[in-house]
Amino acid sequence: MMIYNREMKKNMKSLLIWSIILAGIILMTLSIYPQFTQDQQTMNDLLSAYPDSFKQAFGMDRLNIGSLLGFYGMQIHFMTTLFGSIFAVMLASNMIAKEENEKTVEFLLSKPITRARVIAEKLLAVLTNIVILNVVIMLVCIVGFQFADEDVPLKTFGLLIIGTLLMHITFAAIALLLSAIMKKARTITSVSLGLVLISYFLSVVSGITDGLEFLTYFSLFKYIDPADIISNESLNSLYVGIMLIVIVLSIWGTFSYYRKKDIAV
Amino acid sequence: MEAVELKNLSKFYKKSRGIENVSLTIHEGEIFGFIGPNGAGKSTTIRTLLNLLQPTGGTATIFGKDIVSDSKEIKKIVGYLPSEVHYYDDMKAIDLLQYSAKFHHYKNTNRIYELAEKLQLDLNRKMEDLSFGNRKKVGIIQAILHEPKLLILDEPTGGLDPLMQNTFFELISKEREKGATIFFSSHILSEVQKMCDRVAIIKDGKLVTVEKVETLIKNSLKKISLTIENGEDVQFPFEGVKDKQTHDKNTTFLYRGDMNVLLNHLATLDIIDVLIQEPSLDEVFMHYYE
Repeated sequence: MMIYNREMKKNMKSLLIWSIILAGIILMTLSIYPQFTQDQQTMNDLLSAYPDSFKQAFGMDRLNIGSLLGFYGMQIHFMTTLFGSIFAVMLASNMIAKEENEKTVEFLLSKPITRARVIAEKLLAVLTNIVILNVVIMLVCIVGFQFADEDVPLKTFGLLIIGTLLMHITFAAIALLLSAIMKKARTITSVSLGLVLISYFLSVVSGITDGLEFLTYFSLFKYIDPADIISNESLNSLYVGIMLIVIVLSIWGTFSYYRKKDIAV
Repeated sequence: MEAVELKNLSKFYKKSRGIENVSLTIHEGEIFGFIGPNGAGKSTTIRTLLNLLQPTGGTATIFGKDIVSDSKEIKKIVGYLPSEVHYYDDMKAIDLLQYSAKFHHYKNTNRIYELAEKLQLDLNRKMEDLSFGNRKKVGIIQAILHEPKLLILDEPTGGLDPLMQNTFFELISKEREKGATIFFSSHILSEVQKMCDRVAIIKDGKLVTVEKVETLIKNSLKKISLTIENGEDVQFPFEGVKDKQTHDKNTTFLYRGDMNVLLNHLATLDIIDVLIQEPSLDEVFMHYYE
């Protein structure tokens, strides 16, 4: 597990920074909630100030902002999904390609270790980082929920967290595949960040515009739409299936491509 | 068992030529040189042997193990020094070497300090602060640390000053005494001449010849320098004369062929002075590249 240990150590600082920032934002946002519910009138005024299409885009028309979970779905979920995905793709897109960019791959692959093992340890490091970030998100949220004296349905909250985790892993798996296939680490980071942002943009657009529903299939953010999850109290099994298939195919592609890749430094 | 055996090994890239049908055998315990100009396919051959590149044709074995399917096993007994040494910048030299030793499950890490002392390398510097030559030293230690049965060295002396080169050759000789086989590529011929038992010459991706160093130097070519009265345009009506250069009365050329034919012809000329030498390997080398 030498490569895994090394990757964990190298990424510890970045994981720590992301965790602290996300935790800070979550706690700050959740601390507003009690005041928010106290003054119903201000809240309604605030909401009516938003244009309808804006509310549709962010699911505000279907989420009850007056409940803690609704508040979470509207104010926090988009941050954990978006920022977490950015963290995931930045981590994964560098994971394999950086060895080639920094030409250290020649050292690594001249050691008695199979390529599959190299990828497996790197993949495991990516997954560990993502799981840790999500555990941090979950724990901080649970702490933040204590600001309000209101019970959160834990099962639904758990589904939201699992959905977020699944989405982070999906993006990471795609970025890892790109990292195995493409050469320039910087290009890979740009491409996979682009995928995340486009996916986010599509989820917003498909919410506003009628007739663009088919776009939801291209947006991972729509796959774990908090309004849907909260009202159905379940994850959409079709979307979960698609994410799992994308994860499996990407990881399989990463292994099989890298196994035969010509390492030209 | 042979240390290394290549059978029609080929590697074509999508766009450019790599190597074509290279067949050669390196015996156990031998120091085997691999020479050719830049771009001839030396590094391609070495990288294919290490399975960094997938061969497109032919096969090769190292100590009887297939380079593709048994790559991991092969790397346990191989030490590799790439031509350009690149390591993790955030590591100190000592960290990198210990990291490398762990891959080989090599426990005798005192040897790192012994080797570093011989090569005068400061192990506590970060890789990114090391000069090219010092990084090469880390590479050398990394390659020979685990006492491999086969050392593959790609242009090993580049970046080392002449004194260090001598230390390096001493280290290599010591490994050889312990029974290691050494395969090293170079375009610096004097070091090949100094070290190797046999030499393979590669040109444009194809193996030109494999010869003993002595054979290559002694038997194949003579360098002839003549000073001839009225000899501005001396002609040799037979095969085997190469690189003829005439300057006033002086004519120099390389000769490969029957010495009697040459000497009989020289006897007919009005010779002031004659010098017959063994050519340097550089000249031998040039000859193969004509």
